[in-house]
Amino acid sequence: MSAADRTASTPAAAAARRYPGPDPARSMRALVLRECRRVTRLWTQTILAPVVSSALFILVFGLSLGSRIKEINGFDYDVFIVPGLIAMAMAQAAFSNNSSSLLQARNDRYINDVLASPMQPWRMNLGYMLGGVFRSLTIGVSLGVIALPLTGVPIEQPVHLIVATLLLVVLFSALGVVVGIYAQSFDHHSFINNILILPLTFLGGVFYSIEILPSPWQELSHANPIFYMVDAIRYGFLGASDVNVGLAFGFTGLVAIAMVAWAQWLFQTGRKLKP
Amino acid sequence: MRESTSALRIAGLSKTYDDGTVGLDGLDLEVPAGEFFGLLGPNGAGKTTLINSVCNLIRTSGGRIEVFGFGHETMEARRLVGVAEQDPNLDRFLTVRESLVYHGGYFGMSNDDADRRADEMIDVFDLRAKADVRTSKLSGGMKRRLLLARALLHEPLLVILDEPTAGVDIELRHDLWNYIRLLHEQGTTILLTTHYLEEAESLCEDIALISAGRIIARDTPAELKRRYDATTLEEVYLQTVSTSLPAVMAAEEERS
Repeated sequence: MSAADRTASTPAAAAARRYPGPDPARSMRALVLRECRRVTRLWTQTILAPVVSSALFILVFGLSLGSRIKEINGFDYDVFIVPGLIAMAMAQAAFSNNSSSLLQARNDRYINDVLASPMQPWRMNLGYMLGGVFRSLTIGVSLGVIALPLTGVPIEQPVHLIVATLLLVVLFSALGVVVGIYAQSFDHHSFINNILILPLTFLGGVFYSIEILPSPWQELSHANPIFYMVDAIRYGFLGASDVNVGLAFGFTGLVAIAMVAWAQWLFQTGRKLKP
Repeated sequence: MRESTSALRIAGLSKTYDDGTVGLDGLDLEVPAGEFFGLLGPNGAGKTTLINSVCNLIRTSGGRIEVFGFGHETMEARRLVGVAEQDPNLDRFLTVRESLVYHGGYFGMSNDDADRRADEMIDVFDLRAKADVRTSKLSGGMKRRLLLARALLHEPLLVILDEPTAGVDIELRHDLWNYIRLLHEQGTTILLTTHYLEEAESLCEDIALISAGRIIARDTPAELKRRYDATTLEEVYLQTVSTSLPAVMAAEEERS
């Protein structure tokens, strides 16, 4: 029997018939589950630590010092800072998760198992992003469960809050994917987090309203993209905003689309992922 | 599956890396379906570049690759290929079982099928005692077993083994080859690279020698020995590689 004949009528050929074609939806689901598994396996690091540190911010700045600070935009200080702190924790979690996950997968080259699989590039991109979204939302919900009863923060605009939260986590998840693909070491990942995201978040009106800033800091704050994201989330909770709500949502949405498109381009072309 | 008697058909494949290194230089190769095919060559000859090209792990510079008649980048082709890379590249966050089940998922298998195949592979490669151990805790031999189990999990028709027995003890090597032989007898096409020439000689029906990104000789082991008037494949290897090496070095010098 020739080699070709063997292939046509053998268990291996039967296997190909048994799984007649790859199911891309299953492929992406497996990647999403893998990313979520990583988060839950490292839960003390990925969930507990950020929840505890953000809860401490709420306790120290809100409940302890808050009573000594007068109202901001008509809200008690502990109420005012909760939306920003939740937004900050979610943004950092989404970014860190995807950036470190992809960097590790590239360094150890187990990303090859995904790159060689029958999974379209957009599903790879979405699969990795959803890992960050999962971690970010888990932290956001946990912080909400802790902070809302403690401070009495309302949810005035639930639909706006959901949309703003999704835009924020998608944006930072995609940014994490991009940095995870470009980064050559953990220094690069840390640099973006510590030198870019964290300072811009602190300067983005998490702890204060930019209306109390003197010129030119107030005007400069409008150049900080994270200001609009924090503002959109705060509008969802408090129903009040430092800038036009449409502008805050529109800007956040545009940046989110740009980040997702950048990540997609990297997966589509294989740049930085494949030599 | 399309009507094709070739498991792998490569035409004019080239790859130049960003630093100018030529990995493949217009390589042509055809591997018939169901064949046990050996790819031999010195380090840096282009073996791994060729394998990575077939598996969509590098961006090729030119040429065409077909797997069972499908363009190698298509989802159909990817589903038909299983690769065990040279160095263990296992997901350190997963256990042995999870590595296999998630791999099945990546390749489009249902949960039930992936679970069932994972169990089969765990038994075949004697990984039962380590099934719930994280991959980072495995010994070198165990990692090698898991790499092969993962490559075979989705029942590929073309299995690519890049130096699968490097650093493996004799007993495990023996077990691995018995299983690979069985797969081959069942019709799976095997593409093997190895530095163990006696291994290639005893296993492979057809052998290609690669140097400087090109196939420099290709035939059955017996025919290669006859053509080069050699008694062993090692002699053939040394003759072909030593004649091609000066050309490689000259090209390297010219480039630098």
